[in-house]
Formats: sequence, C-alpha cells, structure tokens
Amino acid sequence: MIKTVLKLPSARIALVMLAFIAFITVFGPLLAPYDPLENTAQNLAAPSAAHWFGTDYLGRDVLSRILAGAPLSVASTVLVAGIALVVGAIPGILSVYATAVFEWISLRVVDTFIALPFLVFAVAMTALLGNGMVQAMIAVGLLVSPLFYRVARSATLSVARSQYVEAAVLAGATTGWIVRTHVWSKVLPPIAISLATTLGVGLVVISSLQFLGIGVQPPTPTWGGILASDLGYLPQQPYAPLFPTALILVTVLAFNLLADAIRDAAGESGRSLVGAKAAKANRARRLAASGYSLTPSKEHA
Amino acid sequence: MTASAAVSVRGIATGAIPRTGGGAGHRVRRVLLSIARPISIFVPVFFLGTFFTFLLGALSGRSPAALQLGDAATPEAVAALNQQFGLDRPFFVQYADWLGQLFRGSFGNSWANGVPVATLLGDRAVVSLSVAGLALVIGVIFGFLFGVLAAQFHTRWIDRAITTGTTVFSVLPPFVVGIALIAVFAVGLRWLPAVGFVPIQLGFWPWFSHLILPAVALSFDTVSDVARQLRTGLVSAYRENYVTGAQVRGLGPQRIFFGHVLRNGVGPALSVLGLKFPALLGGAVLIESIFGLSGYGTFAAQSAVTGDVPSVQAVLVISIVLVVVFNLIVNVAHNRLIPSASRGV
Repeated sequence: MIKTVLKLPSARIALVMLAFIAFITVFGPLLAPYDPLENTAQNLAAPSAAHWFGTDYLGRDVLSRILAGAPLSVASTVLVAGIALVVGAIPGILSVYATAVFEWISLRVVDTFIALPFLVFAVAMTALLGNGMVQAMIAVGLLVSPLFYRVARSATLSVARSQYVEAAVLAGATTGWIVRTHVWSKVLPPIAISLATTLGVGLVVISSLQFLGIGVQPPTPTWGGILASDLGYLPQQPYAPLFPTALILVTVLAFNLLADAIRDAAGESGRSLVGAKAAKANRARRLAASGYSLTPSKEHA
Repeated sequence: MTASAAVSVRGIATGAIPRTGGGAGHRVRRVLLSIARPISIFVPVFFLGTFFTFLLGALSGRSPAALQLGDAATPEAVAALNQQFGLDRPFFVQYADWLGQLFRGSFGNSWANGVPVATLLGDRAVVSLSVAGLALVIGVIFGFLFGVLAAQFHTRWIDRAITTGTTVFSVLPPFVVGIALIAVFAVGLRWLPAVGFVPIQLGFWPWFSHLILPAVALSFDTVSDVARQLRTGLVSAYRENYVTGAQVRGLGPQRIFFGHVLRNGVGPALSVLGLKFPALLGGAVLIESIFGLSGYGTFAAQSAVTGDVPSVQAVLVISIVLVVVFNLIVNVAHNRLIPSASRGV
C-alpha cells in the first residue's frame, strides 16, 4: 500500500513538505541565527538581511523564535496524535470483541467526548491540571481520541461480520489470532488516514492553546505564542503574522494531502489505482465530490 | 475537523433501534422508542459530562486555601476554609451535593472571592451568546446558501468555486481567520472596530459592528461544513428515482426542490450543524481572546489558570447543557423533516 501511496504526486508533495517541517523541528533550535530570548533595542524592525523575518516588540529575532519554537509546536502535535491513537484505537477494536457492558460504556464515553465543547475543555483541563505542555498534550490527545475509536470500531465491525472471519471462527481460530491476522490489516488504512488528519487538527489545537498562553510560559517561543504577540502590533507590522501562519498552514495542508493520498490508495479505490491515469481521474472525481472527507461509519451505536 | 464530523454524524443523530413491524402495538412502541432514543443518548452524555467536569476539579488538586490564603496559611486556617467549602467530605458525597446544587440552578461560590459564580457569569452570558448566536445564524444562512448554490450548479464553475473555497476555509485555523479579519477590516480599511463589546442598549449599530468580525471569524468552519454536507446531500437526492418521477409528472423545479430534494437531502447538513455547535462554543474561547471580549471563554481560561474550580466547572456545565439542548432540537427538526429517521432506518 505504501508503494501505491508514493505513486500519487500529492503524496510526494506532502512528504517533501513534511520533511522540511521535520528538518526544522529537529535542527531548528541549532539553526537559529540569534538567541530567541535575547531582547535588543531594535524592536519591530522590518525584514532585512540581518533579521530575515524582522524583529518583534521586544527586539527579538522572529526567524530565531520560529525556529526555536518548532519542537514545542510540532513535536507536541506528534505526541498528541500518538496519545489519541493509543487511547482511541485499542478500545475501538476491543469494543467489538469485549463484553457488552464494556461496549456500552465505551460508546457512551465516546459520545460524551464528542459532545463536549472541545477547546473549552482543553483549556480547562490543561490549566487546572498544572498548565504545562504535558498536560496540554494529554488533554488534547484524550479529547481527539473518539475519532480513532469510531474509525477502528467501524473497520473492525465490518471485518468481524465478514464471511472469511466466520470461517476462521468455525475452523477454531482464537480471537487474538483473528485480530492479528485479519482485523489488523483492514483497520490499519483507516487509522492511517485518521492519524494524518489528527496530526493536522492537533497542530491547530496545540497552536490555539499556545496562542491563548495555556500550557506555556511567556518567554518560551512557540508558533501560537508568536502569533499572539504579533496580534498586538498589527498596525505597526501587519505582515508579521504571515510567517508563523504560513508554517502552520503548510504543515496542516501537508497532513491533509497525505490523508487524502492514503484514502485514495487504500481499499477499493486503491486497486483501481494501478496506472497513473486512473489515479488522476480518481483525484479529480474526489475533488469534485469532496463532501465527506471520510467514509461515514457504517456502525450504529 | 470534518473527518471527526463525518465519522460521528450517525453516532449522535441516529442510534440504532431494530426496525419494528406494523400493527397498533408496534406503532405505540415505535413512538415511545423515537422519544426514548434521543433521551437514552443525551442523558448519559449529560451525566458523564458533568461527572468528568467534577472529576477534573477533584484531580486538579486546587483548593480555595491556595487562592485566598496564600503560602503563609496555617494548617488550621486551610482546614477551616476547606470545611467551609465542604471539601473535607468524601468524593462521591461532594459530587452528589454538587449535582443537587446544579439541578437547583446554583453553581456554588467562587473560590477566588466567595461571590456566587452565577452572578459572575451573568453579564458575560450576553457577550458570549451574542457572538455564538450570530455566528450560528451566519453559519446557517450562508452554509445553506452556498450548499444550495453549489448543488443547483453542480459541476459548473460556481460549484467548483464554492467547493474549493469551503475546503480551504475549513482547514484555516480560527485564530488565523480572526487575525486576518482584524488586519484587513479593522487595521487596513478601518471599517469596523477591532476589539471590545458594546451593550445593545447603546444602540444597534455600535453593538452589531463590534460583533460582526468575531461572529464571522467563528462561523467560517460552520459555513463550510454545512455547505459541503448540504451540497452532497442535495446532489445525491437529485439522483433519486422519485425526483425523476416528479419531473416526468410535470412538477415545477421549485416544488421538486422544496418538496422532494431539500427535505430528503438536508439530513447530513442538520447533523453536522448539531456537531458544529460544540465547536462554536469552544471556538468562542479563542475568538473572545483575539477580539478582546470578556465572555465565557476568557472567563473559563482565566479561572482555570488561577485555579478557581467552581467557576470553570460552571462554564463547562453550561456548555454541556447548551450542547445537549441544541442537539435535542436538531434531533426533533431532523425527525420532523425526515420521518424515516425517527424509526432509525
């Protein structure tokens, strides 16, 4: 399947963009030309050869702050998606095989998580539990986990009801063996799509929290925090928010492109997608009919 | 955002009830089920939501003593204050007591200054509800407008423009939209004020002009999601055989649209509207902070940072209640428009 994904041009573009973001995240703090916390007298300077993105209201170099803020913004997003994946997908698969009581309770918990006003709860949880980045990641990870639960559950349900699984059960296969052999490979593509989507959403939410000053302390540079400080100086520097915004949007766009590419390459459409021509037609059709961004779950709670 | 929306559309809007057959007894049972089903979904949501809210306060380990007495407090003073707020009792006793208070409409007293939380929330309600309400109205009107336009001009350039636009806008984070709107309309063109709130008593235009930008920024996500779902729903409804049948029988395009297509194609858009409501309330935190409004969102954020647990809990409970009520309304509207939905078909 990975080979099919890589055949799509959109996936290659997405991977190039993500490689760039990953490079910034890993090496950003080392590449920063100035100390991101160093105040200078040159405040609100326009972009120049010395300060490519200009300086902020305390005279700090914006490029250095963006580079230094990358790990806290991007790495925490990856961790958020990881937490959501573990917390959501495993109960989602288990809910099909475990007892009815577990199924009912987990479904109600997921319903509740979906109904909660997301950002209010993320802010409240993070700030009340100690106002740190770790708390923020756990809170956001928990709150986005229902997506994985539902996707994993509906994929598992469709496998569990298929005839070859029934045949395996009749042949005496254990539940663990069925999950490892049959369920896992069917559940992986939808989970990969959700993971890519969640990474995009997670960055927006993490940046939102940082924008509100939740989970980080003021001098620490983060993409959301840079945006928040730019907002106060819009009359002097109306272009300033463009730099962090562009990075956030590039990352979100790359993850969305990747999610679309995996969706195109997986399952039924993937099989028809051997030739490049078929791929092109498929993309065009999907763009034209892009109503649902995920196939609606077939399960009924 | 859309991914979670699309996946969970059915989860909230339609639970599964085995389809019942004909007969008078079955009919009564069916009506009862159609009432019981939403309740069976929303009552657990309410109780679990409030339980999480209370658990959050308990897990935070915050106490009124830390807020009011500072670091130099004597253990006796701390114990006295804890007793005054009833914090020395077992967890489930506190929870039952708190839940009982909620049903009597009381949110307890703020830990920061002892004032009832309800009074603290009173005037902020106007700000938040104005913004969220206007955003909802904009979302419904423009979402339906764009959705209908795109479906009517399916595969033509209008449709392509709307589809592309909504796809781009649904990806834009709300703070980016907010900052862009301020940069263009408040700082650049100077048409509208950038920050603040004016009560409606001081005149409609001052009130409205302060609300437009925050409400528009908040509604972007709703507009694009409603438009996309409505377009998909309408396009697939237009392909149904009964539409061809109506055309063959000579019904006018207007009658077909309102009587057949809109009624059958509006389901996904309504469900997504119910799902977007929590996002509207949640997005208010960000929007209020960008546009300098002192509403529920900023109140919750400030209270959470200082550790004023009852205030935070009050905001969370109010938002849960609003979400549950709004979803029930959506559910009723859904069932009235599409009677088959109430059978869980």
